[in-house]
Amino acid sequence: MKILIVDDSSTMRRIIINTLSRIGYTDVVEGENGKSGLEKLGQGGVEMIITDWNMPEMDGLEFVKTVRGQNAAIPILMVTTNAAKEDIVEALQAGVNNYVVKPFTPETLKEKIESLLG
Amino acid sequence: MDQSEIDALLAGGGKSAKKPKADKAPAPAPAPPPAAAKPAAHEEPHKDGAGHVISELDTVTSVTERESNKIMDQLDQISRLVSRQQELITGMMQHDAAQAPGVQSAIHEVMSAGKEIQDKVFEAMDLMQFQDITRQKLERIVHHLRQIHDYIVDLLGSGLKSDAERPSISHTIAQTGTTPDENKAHADAVIEAFKTQKKG
Repeated sequence: MKILIVDDSSTMRRIIINTLSRIGYTDVVEGENGKSGLEKLGQGGVEMIITDWNMPEMDGLEFVKTVRGQNAAIPILMVTTNAAKEDIVEALQAGVNNYVVKPFTPETLKEKIESLLG
Repeated sequence: MDQSEIDALLAGGGKSAKKPKADKAPAPAPAPPPAAAKPAAHEEPHKDGAGHVISELDTVTSVTERESNKIMDQLDQISRLVSRQQELITGMMQHDAAQAPGVQSAIHEVMSAGKEIQDKVFEAMDLMQFQDITRQKLERIVHHLRQIHDYIVDLLGSGLKSDAERPSISHTIAQTGTTPDENKAHADAVIEAFKTQKKG
């Protein structure tokens, strides 16, 4: 399964990649903001998206809305520092399937990914 | 003051004696602090104080990210080395000479210790999330500094407004801590309520 990780922090992308690798997902593509995330998504083969919210150029919320305009089915997990109730609701309304607040434990990321993949 | 200078000071009975650079141990030099990365900014008075502070903060965030990635590289390397060691020990266990119960037991203990090291390396990698959180906290400060700067420019009717790229800012980042999953229960409850409401 190919997973797209969109986060402007290279450290955070590495942490997520490491966690995914420990739970058996090694096929990963990376984007550093919503814009590059859309480019990577356009190259095909992505079956799941993990995205940050606060990024330059195109933020995660705009990215999710754009993706949902093209693809209603792909699972999207938002991993962000935004923890306010209204932020979580806004992300869910935009089309996010699940939500993780940073900092997270690998167990939480694993749990959320597994719940998305059913 | 680095260690060689402290040593020289102690050896000199309190006299400050700065050792020349050549006397320093050949250990890899630590990365310069953010301020040192831009010496020109200190040598020449900056005309725009707010711009200078913003630029310093931007340097702090980029240097911290760069150095965090170096730590991640080292942790990756340790992880690879431990994995290689585990492979070698597994191979060794098949050897005739290693079949004695005492030897097998000792090998299992070494394997177990290796696994603990690997787990600690992964834990350390996960803890590096602090870098992203502190970076976002600094970005929020920069955002507010730019707002103050632009307000003053408006007030005075002169000067240039900040035109640098403004990343999307988390408006609640000030409350974000570094304890993993501190907001998990809250987020899960909001998700659950949203899903229930949607179903209804």
